[in-house]
Amino acid sequence: MRERYSLPLIGLHWLTLLLIIAAYVLASLLEDMTLSPLKLQLYSWHKWVGISVLFLLPLRLLSRFVDHFDHRFQLTALEVKASSAVHGLLYLLLIAVPMFGWLHSSAAGFSVVWFGVLPLPDMVGKDKALAEIFKELHEGSVNLLVTLVVLHAAAALYHHHIRRDGVLARMVPWLKKKA
Amino acid sequence: MKPFWLFVLALFVSPALAEDWKVDYGKSQIGFVIKQMNVPVEGGFGRYSVKAVFDPAKPELGFFRVELDIASIDTGSEEGNGEAKRPAWFDTARYPKASFVSKSIKKEASGRYSVTGEFTLKGRTRPLVVPFLLTPQRDGGWLASGRAALKRTQFDIGGGEWADPSVVADDLEAYFKILLKP
Repeated sequence: MRERYSLPLIGLHWLTLLLIIAAYVLASLLEDMTLSPLKLQLYSWHKWVGISVLFLLPLRLLSRFVDHFDHRFQLTALEVKASSAVHGLLYLLLIAVPMFGWLHSSAAGFSVVWFGVLPLPDMVGKDKALAEIFKELHEGSVNLLVTLVVLHAAAALYHHHIRRDGVLARMVPWLKKKA
Repeated sequence: MKPFWLFVLALFVSPALAEDWKVDYGKSQIGFVIKQMNVPVEGGFGRYSVKAVFDPAKPELGFFRVELDIASIDTGSEEGNGEAKRPAWFDTARYPKASFVSKSIKKEASGRYSVTGEFTLKGRTRPLVVPFLLTPQRDGGWLASGRAALKRTQFDIGGGEWADPSVVADDLEAYFKILLKP
């Protein structure tokens, strides 16, 4: 039995984490800024990074599909259920959070042009009230995503330090399984 | 008497007198599109006045004057609207109005015209040629619609920290739809 996920899958996993952190930090900076050229730039960067998370997800699902790594290996039945539920929700939120952001942008009248090059179609017309709703959904779903990411990381650390199995090492190839 | 016959009568009685049209402001629009971070963003003006003295059969006798109330600008966001009134942008305290005054109007093709005039914005006056279409309406009125390419640097709009055209483009497109009623 192979002990880790394939390298593309590992790479995409950590890249997604970095992008989420970058998008979150950019959004936090934006909240307290008054309008300036820098704010417009940061806003665009936030959108570009968030859309990248969305666009990377199909690649990730594809590489997970072709990897055939059985993630249930060494897990109890309860752990299989819990981890499948959390992973499923995480994937769902990796779609929902950027989608709500995209919808908010469309409704607010500030479309997304990915990296200033690829114009994304507006999924709804300009509508102030709708923009507010999507903003709330974007913020609400991101809070849920962050909570689940913390839970996911806590579970990985639990496996590594308490259970002392190879679950974390599957995603961290340079980590040795604790004896 | 039907407007058409009034119109024919007017042609005979006073060839030099073109009709002074009323404007249906509720169905008219003056707006612009400007790219911010390469994203086209829609904006417009809520308050403006249009004087249109025009006879489609004798366009060269016509006269247009458009006056914009700059403080009524909608840039697409609340914070943008506040920023636009500041000195770096439109400086509405010193320059509350912008205006376009026609000098000459000519017919280009059937239903297509162009008006040459002077556009004054933020105290700077520049010549401007605006091609426009006239579409007849059922009530005898006309829909005048057209667009014109402008550069914000020509009028010192958005200087200082906002000068970088990669954030807010120098080029913008102004457009209008004015419904003229008899």
